[in-house]
Amino acid sequence: MNLTREQLQHKLLRIFEENFEIKNPGLDDDLREAYEFDSIDAIGLLVEIERIMGVKLSQEKKKQSMDIRTINDICNYVETIHIARS
Amino acid sequence: MERRVVITAGSAITPIGHAKADILNSLTQGISGVKPLRHDELLSQYISSAVFGTVDYPIPYEFKRNFRKTMGPVAYYACQVVKEVLESSGLDQSFITSGRLGVAFGSTHGSPTVQRRIYKNFFSNDASQYSAIDAVDYLKSMVHTTAVNITKMFGITGRVISSSTACTTSSQSIGFGYETVKFGLQDAMICGGADEYDTTTVAVFDNLLACSTAFNDTPHRTPRPFDVNRDGLVVGEGGGAVLLEEYEFAKKRGAPILGEIIGFSNNNNGGDLILPNMEGIKNTIRLGLENAGIAPDQVDLISAHATGTKMGDVIEAMAIGSVYGKQPYVTGLKSYMGHTMATCGVIETLLVLYMMEVGFIAPTLNLEEVDARCAMIRHVMKPVESRIQIAAIQNFAFGGVNTCLLIKQFDE
Repeated sequence: MNLTREQLQHKLLRIFEENFEIKNPGLDDDLREAYEFDSIDAIGLLVEIERIMGVKLSQEKKKQSMDIRTINDICNYVETIHIARS
Repeated sequence: MERRVVITAGSAITPIGHAKADILNSLTQGISGVKPLRHDELLSQYISSAVFGTVDYPIPYEFKRNFRKTMGPVAYYACQVVKEVLESSGLDQSFITSGRLGVAFGSTHGSPTVQRRIYKNFFSNDASQYSAIDAVDYLKSMVHTTAVNITKMFGITGRVISSSTACTTSSQSIGFGYETVKFGLQDAMICGGADEYDTTTVAVFDNLLACSTAFNDTPHRTPRPFDVNRDGLVVGEGGGAVLLEEYEFAKKRGAPILGEIIGFSNNNNGGDLILPNMEGIKNTIRLGLENAGIAPDQVDLISAHATGTKMGDVIEAMAIGSVYGKQPYVTGLKSYMGHTMATCGVIETLLVLYMMEVGFIAPTLNLEEVDARCAMIRHVMKPVESRIQIAAIQNFAFGGVNTCLLIKQFDE
Protein backbone atom coordinates (compact mmCIF):
# COMPACT_ATOMS: atom_id res chain seq x y z
CA MET A 1 0.00 0.00 0.00
CA ASN A 2 1.44 3.30 -1.02
CA LEU A 3 -1.22 5.88 -0.29
CA THR A 4 -1.30 9.24 1.42
CA ARG A 5 -3.95 9.77 4.08
CA GLU A 6 -5.91 11.88 1.64
CA GLN A 7 -5.78 9.18 -1.05
CA LEU A 8 -6.86 6.57 1.48
CA GLN A 9 -9.79 8.76 2.56
CA HIS A 10 -10.76 9.21 -1.07
CA LYS A 11 -10.72 5.46 -1.68
CA LEU A 12 -12.74 4.77 1.45
CA LEU A 13 -15.34 7.38 0.56
CA ARG A 14 -15.74 5.77 -2.85
CA ILE A 15 -16.20 2.36 -1.21
CA PHE A 16 -18.79 3.80 1.16
CA GLU A 17 -20.71 5.26 -1.74
CA GLU A 18 -20.49 2.24 -4.06
CA ASN A 19 -20.82 -0.59 -1.57
CA PHE A 20 -22.84 0.92 1.22
CA GLU A 21 -24.75 3.75 -0.49
CA ILE A 22 -23.37 6.22 2.06
CA LYS A 23 -22.52 9.46 0.29
CA ASN A 24 -19.81 11.76 1.61
CA PRO A 25 -20.03 11.00 5.32
CA GLY A 26 -18.20 13.47 7.54
CA LEU A 27 -14.80 12.15 8.55
CA ASP A 28 -15.82 12.13 12.20
CA ASP A 29 -19.46 11.08 11.77
CA ASP A 30 -20.44 8.07 13.86
CA LEU A 31 -21.19 5.68 10.99
CA ARG A 32 -23.43 3.46 13.09
CA GLU A 33 -25.48 6.31 14.48
CA ALA A 34 -25.74 8.35 11.33
CA TYR A 35 -25.89 5.67 8.60
CA GLU A 36 -26.83 2.37 10.31
CA PHE A 37 -23.40 1.00 9.38
CA ASP A 38 -23.37 -2.18 11.46
CA SER A 39 -21.08 -5.13 12.18
CA ILE A 40 -22.23 -6.92 9.00
CA ASP A 41 -21.14 -3.89 6.99
CA ALA A 42 -17.86 -3.74 8.92
CA ILE A 43 -17.06 -7.30 7.81
CA GLY A 44 -17.74 -6.28 4.22
CA LEU A 45 -15.50 -3.26 4.63
CA LEU A 46 -12.65 -5.42 5.94
CA VAL A 47 -12.68 -7.36 2.66
CA GLU A 48 -12.22 -4.04 0.83
CA ILE A 49 -9.45 -2.97 3.21
CA GLU A 50 -7.61 -6.21 2.50
CA ARG A 51 -7.85 -5.39 -1.20
CA ILE A 52 -6.54 -1.85 -0.70
CA MET A 53 -3.63 -3.06 1.43
CA GLY A 54 -2.98 -6.18 -0.63
CA VAL A 55 -2.72 -8.25 2.56
CA LYS A 56 -4.74 -10.84 4.41
CA LEU A 57 -5.70 -9.55 7.86
CA SER A 58 -5.50 -11.91 10.80
CA GLN A 59 -8.62 -12.68 12.86
CA GLU A 60 -7.03 -10.74 15.70
CA LYS A 61 -6.53 -7.64 13.55
CA LYS A 62 -10.06 -7.93 12.24
CA LYS A 63 -11.49 -8.10 15.77
CA GLN A 64 -9.64 -4.87 16.59
CA SER A 65 -11.65 -3.13 13.87
CA MET A 66 -15.00 -3.80 15.56
CA ASP A 67 -14.79 -0.67 17.72
CA ILE A 68 -14.26 1.60 14.75
CA ARG A 69 -16.94 4.26 14.39
CA THR A 70 -15.71 6.93 11.94
CA ILE A 71 -13.88 7.31 8.63
CA ASN A 72 -10.96 8.82 10.52
CA ASP A 73 -10.93 5.73 12.80
CA ILE A 74 -10.74 3.53 9.69
CA CYS A 75 -7.83 5.56 8.29
CA ASN A 76 -6.02 5.27 11.61
CA TYR A 77 -6.67 1.51 11.67
CA VAL A 78 -5.30 1.01 8.16
CA GLU A 79 -2.26 3.22 8.77
CA THR A 80 -1.44 1.49 12.07
CA ILE A 81 -1.47 -1.91 10.41
CA HIS A 82 0.56 -0.62 7.51
CA ILE A 83 3.23 0.89 9.76
CA ALA A 84 3.42 -2.28 11.87
CA ARG A 85 3.92 -4.37 8.75
CA SER A 86 6.57 -2.15 7.25
CA MET B 1 -60.07 -20.41 24.55
CA GLU B 2 -61.02 -20.61 20.88
CA ARG B 3 -61.38 -17.37 18.99
CA ARG B 4 -62.63 -16.60 15.48
CA VAL B 5 -59.92 -15.81 12.94
CA VAL B 6 -60.51 -13.58 9.95
CA ILE B 7 -58.40 -12.58 6.97
CA THR B 8 -58.20 -8.82 6.67
CA ALA B 9 -55.59 -8.16 3.98
CA GLY B 10 -53.63 -10.00 1.33
CA SER B 11 -51.18 -9.51 -1.50
CA ALA B 12 -49.46 -11.77 -3.99
CA ILE B 13 -46.79 -11.59 -6.65
CA THR B 14 -47.77 -14.30 -9.11
CA PRO B 15 -46.96 -15.34 -12.67
CA ILE B 16 -50.47 -14.10 -13.63
CA GLY B 17 -50.20 -10.68 -12.00
CA HIS B 18 -49.55 -8.70 -8.89
CA ALA B 19 -52.59 -6.47 -8.36
CA LYS B 20 -55.90 -8.14 -7.56
CA ALA B 21 -57.47 -6.73 -10.75
CA ASP B 22 -54.68 -8.19 -12.92
CA ILE B 23 -54.95 -11.59 -11.28
CA LEU B 24 -58.74 -11.65 -11.64
CA ASN B 25 -58.39 -10.57 -15.26
CA SER B 26 -56.05 -13.49 -15.95
CA LEU B 27 -58.49 -15.88 -14.26
CA THR B 28 -61.53 -14.59 -16.12
CA GLN B 29 -59.75 -14.37 -19.48
CA GLY B 30 -57.90 -17.66 -19.13
CA ILE B 31 -54.46 -16.08 -19.39
CA SER B 32 -51.53 -18.31 -18.43
CA GLY B 33 -48.37 -17.15 -16.66
CA VAL B 34 -46.33 -20.10 -17.90
CA LYS B 35 -43.45 -18.96 -20.10
CA PRO B 36 -40.26 -20.44 -21.59
CA LEU B 37 -37.68 -21.46 -18.97
CA ARG B 38 -35.04 -18.75 -18.65
CA HIS B 39 -31.50 -19.81 -19.39
CA ASP B 40 -29.21 -19.52 -16.42
CA GLU B 41 -25.92 -20.94 -17.77
CA LEU B 42 -26.17 -23.63 -15.10
CA LEU B 43 -28.69 -26.41 -15.30
CA SER B 44 -31.22 -25.03 -17.76
CA GLN B 45 -29.48 -26.48 -20.82
CA TYR B 46 -29.81 -30.02 -19.43
CA ILE B 47 -33.42 -29.84 -18.29
CA SER B 48 -36.00 -31.54 -20.52
CA SER B 49 -38.81 -29.29 -19.34
CA ALA B 50 -38.45 -25.84 -20.89
CA VAL B 51 -41.36 -24.07 -19.21
CA PHE B 52 -41.67 -22.05 -16.00
CA GLY B 53 -44.36 -20.07 -14.18
CA THR B 54 -42.63 -16.74 -14.53
CA VAL B 55 -42.93 -13.36 -12.85
CA ASP B 56 -41.83 -11.21 -15.77
CA TYR B 57 -43.13 -7.77 -14.84
CA PRO B 58 -41.26 -5.09 -12.89
CA ILE B 59 -41.85 -4.88 -9.15
CA PRO B 60 -41.29 -1.44 -7.59
CA TYR B 61 -39.05 -2.41 -4.68
CA GLU B 62 -38.17 0.55 -2.51
CA PHE B 63 -36.20 -1.04 0.31
CA LYS B 64 -33.42 0.83 2.08
CA ARG B 65 -29.94 -0.65 1.82
CA ASN B 66 -29.99 -1.54 5.48
CA PHE B 67 -32.79 -4.00 4.72
CA ARG B 68 -31.63 -5.09 1.26
CA LYS B 69 -28.24 -6.22 2.50
CA THR B 70 -29.65 -9.36 4.14
CA MET B 71 -32.13 -10.20 1.39
CA GLY B 72 -31.84 -12.64 -1.48
CA PRO B 73 -34.48 -12.60 -4.25
CA VAL B 74 -36.86 -14.76 -2.19
CA ALA B 75 -36.84 -12.25 0.66
CA TYR B 76 -37.57 -9.43 -1.81
CA TYR B 77 -40.78 -11.22 -2.79
CA ALA B 78 -41.65 -11.86 0.86
CA CYS B 79 -40.97 -8.35 2.13
CA GLN B 80 -42.77 -6.71 -0.79
CA VAL B 81 -46.03 -8.63 -0.30
CA VAL B 82 -45.89 -8.09 3.47
CA LYS B 83 -45.24 -4.37 2.94
CA GLU B 84 -48.35 -4.20 0.77
CA VAL B 85 -50.39 -6.17 3.28
CA LEU B 86 -49.36 -3.97 6.20
CA GLU B 87 -49.92 -0.78 4.20
CA SER B 88 -53.42 -1.84 3.21
CA SER B 89 -54.24 -3.22 6.67
CA GLY B 90 -54.34 0.12 8.42
CA LEU B 91 -52.67 -1.44 11.46
CA ASP B 92 -50.97 1.09 13.75
CA GLN B 93 -47.20 0.96 13.96
CA SER B 94 -47.56 0.63 17.73
CA PHE B 95 -49.51 -2.62 17.26
CA ILE B 96 -47.09 -3.96 14.63
CA THR B 97 -44.21 -3.67 17.07
CA SER B 98 -46.21 -4.57 20.20
CA GLY B 99 -45.46 -8.30 20.30
CA ARG B 100 -49.13 -9.08 19.60
CA LEU B 101 -48.41 -9.54 15.87
CA GLY B 102 -46.36 -12.55 14.76
CA VAL B 103 -45.02 -13.89 11.49
CA ALA B 104 -45.48 -17.31 9.90
CA PHE B 105 -43.56 -17.31 6.66
CA GLY B 106 -41.33 -19.69 4.75
CA SER B 107 -39.68 -20.73 1.54
CA THR B 108 -38.41 -24.00 0.13
CA HIS B 109 -34.69 -23.28 0.37
CA GLY B 110 -33.90 -19.79 1.56
CA SER B 111 -32.28 -18.19 -1.47
CA PRO B 112 -30.88 -20.79 -3.89
CA THR B 113 -29.24 -18.00 -5.93
CA VAL B 114 -27.12 -17.10 -2.91
CA GLN B 115 -26.54 -20.72 -1.94
CA ARG B 116 -25.12 -21.39 -5.39
CA ARG B 117 -22.67 -18.52 -4.97
CA ILE B 118 -21.56 -19.83 -1.58
CA TYR B 119 -20.91 -23.34 -2.92
CA LYS B 120 -19.19 -22.02 -6.03
CA ASN B 121 -16.66 -20.31 -3.78
CA PHE B 122 -16.58 -23.24 -1.39
CA PHE B 123 -15.67 -25.74 -4.09
CA SER B 124 -13.26 -23.44 -5.92
CA ASN B 125 -10.40 -24.77 -3.78
CA ASP B 126 -8.96 -21.29 -3.96
CA ALA B 127 -7.93 -19.67 -0.68
CA SER B 128 -8.56 -16.21 -2.09
CA GLN B 129 -12.22 -17.11 -2.54
CA TYR B 130 -12.71 -17.74 1.17
CA SER B 131 -13.47 -14.13 1.99
CA ALA B 132 -15.84 -13.99 -0.98
CA ILE B 133 -18.25 -16.00 1.18
CA ASP B 134 -19.97 -12.83 2.21
CA ALA B 135 -20.89 -12.18 5.81
CA VAL B 136 -24.54 -11.78 4.87
CA ASP B 137 -24.79 -14.83 2.62
CA TYR B 138 -26.00 -16.97 5.48
CA LEU B 139 -28.73 -14.49 6.33
CA LYS B 140 -29.87 -14.54 2.72
CA SER B 141 -29.79 -18.29 2.30
CA MET B 142 -30.93 -19.65 5.67
CA VAL B 143 -34.27 -21.37 5.58
CA HIS B 144 -36.06 -18.76 7.71
CA THR B 145 -34.67 -15.83 5.72
CA THR B 146 -38.12 -14.64 4.61
CA ALA B 147 -39.62 -14.61 8.11
CA VAL B 148 -36.81 -12.72 9.79
CA ASN B 149 -36.23 -10.23 7.02
CA ILE B 150 -39.92 -9.41 7.47
CA THR B 151 -39.52 -8.99 11.23
CA LYS B 152 -36.47 -6.78 10.71
CA MET B 153 -38.04 -4.56 8.08
CA PHE B 154 -41.26 -3.92 9.98
CA GLY B 155 -40.03 -4.18 13.56
CA ILE B 156 -42.28 -7.14 14.35
CA THR B 157 -41.53 -8.57 17.79
CA GLY B 158 -44.07 -11.39 18.14
CA ARG B 159 -43.79 -15.10 17.43
CA VAL B 160 -41.89 -16.41 14.44
CA ILE B 161 -42.87 -19.64 12.69
CA SER B 162 -40.94 -20.58 9.58
CA SER B 163 -42.24 -23.74 7.99
CA SER B 164 -40.21 -25.13 5.16
CA THR B 165 -42.16 -28.07 3.87
CA ALA B 166 -41.85 -27.48 0.12
CA CYS B 167 -45.33 -27.32 -1.41
CA THR B 168 -47.17 -27.06 1.92
CA THR B 169 -44.93 -24.29 3.30
CA SER B 170 -47.37 -21.42 3.01
CA SER B 171 -50.52 -23.44 3.68
CA GLN B 172 -48.82 -24.49 6.91
CA SER B 173 -47.93 -20.84 7.53
CA ILE B 174 -51.58 -19.89 7.26
CA GLY B 175 -52.73 -22.93 9.25
CA PHE B 176 -50.23 -22.47 12.05
CA GLY B 177 -50.95 -18.73 12.05
CA TYR B 178 -54.65 -19.52 12.30
CA GLU B 179 -54.07 -21.78 15.30
CA THR B 180 -51.80 -19.20 16.94
CA VAL B 181 -54.54 -16.56 16.79
CA LYS B 182 -57.38 -18.99 17.48
CA PHE B 183 -55.82 -20.11 20.74
CA GLY B 184 -54.93 -16.62 21.89
CA LEU B 185 -51.15 -16.74 21.54
CA GLN B 186 -51.14 -13.71 19.22
CA ASP B 187 -53.85 -11.28 18.14
CA ALA B 188 -52.69 -11.18 14.53
CA MET B 189 -50.31 -13.09 12.26
CA ILE B 190 -48.76 -12.24 8.92
CA CYS B 191 -48.67 -15.52 7.04
CA GLY B 192 -47.36 -16.64 3.69
CA GLY B 193 -44.49 -17.92 1.62
CA ALA B 194 -42.22 -17.14 -1.28
CA ASP B 195 -39.93 -18.86 -3.72
CA GLU B 196 -37.55 -17.31 -6.24
CA TYR B 197 -36.66 -18.40 -9.74
CA ASP B 198 -34.59 -21.55 -9.40
CA THR B 199 -33.66 -24.22 -11.90
CA THR B 200 -32.51 -26.62 -9.16
CA THR B 201 -36.13 -27.33 -8.26
CA VAL B 202 -36.99 -27.83 -11.93
CA ALA B 203 -34.07 -30.24 -12.30
CA VAL B 204 -35.21 -32.29 -9.30
CA PHE B 205 -38.73 -32.76 -10.68
CA ASP B 206 -37.37 -33.19 -14.20
CA ASN B 207 -35.14 -36.05 -13.09
CA LEU B 208 -38.10 -37.63 -11.33
CA LEU B 209 -39.90 -37.50 -14.70
CA ALA B 210 -42.57 -35.35 -13.02
CA CYS B 211 -42.16 -32.19 -15.15
CA SER B 212 -44.14 -31.29 -18.23
CA THR B 213 -42.05 -31.64 -21.39
CA ALA B 214 -44.57 -32.00 -24.23
CA PHE B 215 -45.53 -28.33 -24.39
CA ASN B 216 -42.14 -26.66 -24.50
CA ASP B 217 -43.15 -24.77 -27.64
CA THR B 218 -46.55 -23.77 -26.28
CA PRO B 219 -45.96 -23.06 -22.57
CA HIS B 220 -49.44 -21.64 -21.98
CA ARG B 221 -50.93 -25.11 -22.72
CA THR B 222 -49.34 -26.67 -19.64
CA PRO B 223 -49.80 -27.71 -16.86
CA ARG B 224 -53.09 -29.48 -17.58
CA PRO B 225 -54.48 -30.78 -14.28
CA PHE B 226 -56.94 -33.66 -14.65
CA ASP B 227 -56.70 -33.50 -18.47
CA VAL B 228 -56.12 -36.71 -20.37
CA ASN B 229 -53.09 -35.14 -22.07
CA ARG B 230 -51.41 -33.79 -18.93
CA ASP B 231 -47.75 -34.68 -18.75
CA GLY B 232 -46.46 -33.26 -15.52
CA LEU B 233 -46.03 -30.20 -13.40
CA VAL B 234 -44.50 -26.82 -14.19
CA VAL B 235 -42.39 -25.09 -11.54
CA GLY B 236 -43.11 -21.42 -10.86
CA GLU B 237 -42.07 -18.51 -8.67
CA GLY B 238 -43.78 -15.87 -6.55
CA GLY B 239 -44.72 -14.67 -3.12
CA GLY B 240 -47.88 -14.13 -1.14
CA ALA B 241 -49.05 -12.96 2.26
CA VAL B 242 -52.28 -12.72 4.21
CA LEU B 243 -53.00 -10.96 7.47
CA LEU B 244 -54.96 -13.00 10.00
CA GLU B 245 -56.61 -11.25 12.91
CA GLU B 246 -58.72 -12.24 15.86
CA TYR B 247 -62.27 -11.33 14.85
CA GLU B 248 -63.18 -9.00 17.75
CA PHE B 249 -59.91 -7.12 17.34
CA ALA B 250 -60.49 -6.71 13.59
CA LYS B 251 -64.10 -5.66 14.14
CA LYS B 252 -63.18 -3.12 16.80
CA ARG B 253 -60.73 -1.37 14.52
CA GLY B 254 -63.09 -1.51 11.54
CA ALA B 255 -60.85 -3.69 9.36
CA PRO B 256 -62.33 -4.92 6.09
CA ILE B 257 -62.87 -8.68 6.39
CA LEU B 258 -62.06 -10.73 3.30
CA GLY B 259 -63.00 -14.11 4.74
CA GLU B 260 -62.92 -16.29 7.81
CA ILE B 261 -60.71 -19.31 8.40
CA ILE B 262 -62.87 -21.97 9.96
CA GLY B 263 -60.63 -25.00 9.86
CA PHE B 264 -57.19 -26.41 9.21
CA SER B 265 -55.69 -29.85 9.07
CA ASN B 266 -52.16 -31.09 8.64
CA ASN B 267 -51.05 -34.69 8.61
CA ASN B 268 -48.44 -36.98 7.12
CA ASN B 269 -48.72 -40.07 4.97
CA GLY B 270 -46.45 -41.89 7.40
CA GLY B 271 -44.40 -43.61 4.74
CA ASP B 272 -43.14 -42.84 1.27
CA LEU B 273 -41.74 -39.33 0.86
CA ILE B 274 -42.71 -38.85 -2.79
CA LEU B 275 -45.62 -41.02 -3.91
CA PRO B 276 -49.12 -39.54 -3.60
CA ASN B 277 -51.09 -41.34 -0.92
CA MET B 278 -54.86 -41.60 -1.06
CA GLU B 279 -55.39 -42.48 2.60
CA GLY B 280 -53.21 -39.59 3.70
CA ILE B 281 -55.12 -37.15 1.51
CA LYS B 282 -58.53 -38.48 2.54
CA ASN B 283 -57.51 -38.18 6.16
CA THR B 284 -56.39 -34.58 5.82
CA ILE B 285 -59.66 -33.70 4.08
CA ARG B 286 -61.70 -35.37 6.82
CA LEU B 287 -59.61 -33.80 9.58
CA GLY B 288 -60.08 -30.37 8.00
CA LEU B 289 -63.85 -30.78 7.85
CA GLU B 290 -63.90 -32.07 11.42
CA ASN B 291 -61.77 -29.15 12.59
CA ALA B 292 -64.16 -26.73 10.87
CA GLY B 293 -67.17 -28.54 12.30
CA ILE B 294 -68.87 -28.85 8.93
CA ALA B 295 -70.18 -31.65 6.73
CA PRO B 296 -68.76 -32.34 3.25
CA ASP B 297 -71.94 -31.08 1.57
CA GLN B 298 -71.38 -27.61 3.05
CA VAL B 299 -68.29 -27.07 0.91
CA ASP B 300 -69.00 -25.26 -2.35
CA LEU B 301 -65.54 -25.13 -3.90
CA ILE B 302 -62.33 -27.12 -3.65
CA SER B 303 -59.08 -25.58 -4.77
CA ALA B 304 -57.24 -28.81 -5.54
CA HIS B 305 -53.48 -29.19 -5.26
CA ALA B 306 -53.70 -30.49 -8.85
CA THR B 307 -50.14 -30.17 -10.10
CA GLY B 308 -50.81 -31.90 -13.40
CA THR B 309 -48.82 -35.07 -12.75
CA LYS B 310 -50.05 -38.41 -14.04
CA MET B 311 -50.64 -40.10 -10.71
CA GLY B 312 -51.01 -37.18 -8.31
CA ASP B 313 -54.14 -35.86 -10.02
CA VAL B 314 -55.80 -39.29 -10.11
CA ILE B 315 -55.15 -39.95 -6.42
CA GLU B 316 -56.38 -36.48 -5.46
CA ALA B 317 -59.52 -36.78 -7.59
CA MET B 318 -60.30 -40.18 -6.05
CA ALA B 319 -59.74 -38.83 -2.54
CA ILE B 320 -61.99 -35.81 -3.19
CA GLY B 321 -64.60 -38.07 -4.79
CA SER B 322 -64.64 -40.46 -1.87
CA VAL B 323 -65.19 -37.72 0.74
CA TYR B 324 -67.23 -35.14 -1.16
CA GLY B 325 -68.80 -37.03 -4.04
CA LYS B 326 -69.60 -34.90 -7.03
CA GLN B 327 -71.15 -31.93 -5.29
CA PRO B 328 -68.50 -29.23 -4.77
CA TYR B 329 -66.88 -27.52 -7.73
CA VAL B 330 -63.21 -28.50 -8.10
CA THR B 331 -60.68 -26.23 -9.76
CA GLY B 332 -56.92 -26.51 -10.15
CA LEU B 333 -55.41 -23.03 -9.99
CA LYS B 334 -51.86 -24.17 -10.75
CA SER B 335 -53.06 -24.54 -14.33
CA TYR B 336 -52.65 -20.74 -14.65
CA MET B 337 -49.16 -20.33 -13.26
CA GLY B 338 -47.54 -23.65 -12.57
CA HIS B 339 -46.48 -24.80 -9.14
CA THR B 340 -45.10 -21.90 -7.17
CA MET B 341 -43.83 -24.34 -4.53
CA ALA B 342 -43.64 -22.72 -1.07
CA THR B 343 -46.00 -20.01 -2.27
CA CYS B 344 -48.79 -22.08 -3.76
CA GLY B 345 -50.91 -22.39 -0.61
CA VAL B 346 -51.11 -18.67 0.05
CA ILE B 347 -51.56 -17.75 -3.61
CA GLU B 348 -54.38 -20.27 -3.97
CA THR B 349 -55.95 -18.98 -0.75
CA LEU B 350 -55.88 -15.43 -2.09
CA LEU B 351 -57.26 -16.45 -5.47
CA VAL B 352 -60.12 -18.24 -3.71
CA LEU B 353 -60.80 -15.09 -1.63
CA TYR B 354 -60.82 -12.97 -4.79
CA MET B 355 -63.22 -15.39 -6.48
CA MET B 356 -65.41 -15.51 -3.35
CA GLU B 357 -65.70 -11.75 -3.41
CA VAL B 358 -66.68 -11.66 -7.08
CA GLY B 359 -68.89 -14.78 -7.05
CA PHE B 360 -66.95 -16.44 -9.82
CA ILE B 361 -65.07 -19.72 -10.14
CA ALA B 362 -62.17 -19.91 -12.55
CA PRO B 363 -62.04 -23.13 -14.55
CA THR B 364 -59.03 -25.42 -14.53
CA LEU B 365 -57.08 -24.00 -17.46
CA ASN B 366 -56.17 -26.45 -20.24
CA LEU B 367 -58.68 -28.99 -18.95
CA GLU B 368 -60.14 -29.94 -22.31
CA GLU B 369 -60.83 -33.64 -21.88
CA VAL B 370 -61.10 -35.04 -18.37
CA ASP B 371 -59.04 -38.17 -17.74
CA ALA B 372 -61.58 -40.95 -17.09
CA ARG B 373 -59.68 -41.82 -13.91
CA CYS B 374 -60.33 -38.29 -12.60
CA ALA B 375 -63.96 -38.09 -13.67
CA MET B 376 -65.62 -38.80 -10.32
CA ILE B 377 -65.57 -35.13 -9.22
CA ARG B 378 -67.26 -31.93 -10.43
CA HIS B 379 -64.62 -30.28 -12.58
CA VAL B 380 -64.88 -26.62 -13.51
CA MET B 381 -64.20 -26.50 -17.24
CA LYS B 382 -65.77 -23.13 -18.03
CA PRO B 383 -66.06 -19.96 -15.93
CA VAL B 384 -68.89 -20.34 -13.42
CA GLU B 385 -70.80 -17.57 -11.71
CA SER B 386 -71.65 -18.88 -8.29
CA ARG B 387 -71.74 -17.68 -4.71
CA ILE B 388 -69.05 -19.49 -2.74
CA GLN B 389 -69.95 -19.82 0.92
CA ILE B 390 -67.22 -22.25 1.99
CA ALA B 391 -64.07 -23.29 0.13
CA ALA B 392 -61.36 -25.85 0.85
CA ILE B 393 -57.76 -25.33 -0.23
CA GLN B 394 -55.73 -28.54 -0.46
CA ASN B 395 -51.96 -28.82 -0.71
CA PHE B 396 -49.60 -31.78 -0.57
CA ALA B 397 -45.81 -31.83 -0.37
CA PHE B 398 -42.79 -34.00 -0.80
CA GLY B 399 -42.20 -35.70 2.50
CA GLY B 400 -45.81 -36.86 2.63
CA VAL B 401 -47.09 -33.64 4.22
CA ASN B 402 -50.74 -32.75 3.55
CA THR B 403 -52.78 -29.68 4.49
CA CYS B 404 -56.35 -28.54 4.10
CA LEU B 405 -57.58 -25.03 4.85
CA LEU B 406 -61.29 -24.25 5.14
CA ILE B 407 -62.33 -20.70 4.36
CA LYS B 408 -65.75 -19.16 4.72
CA GLN B 409 -67.37 -16.10 3.24
CA PHE B 410 -67.50 -13.73 6.20
CA ASP B 411 -70.83 -13.55 7.97
CA GLU B 412 -71.26 -11.91 11.37
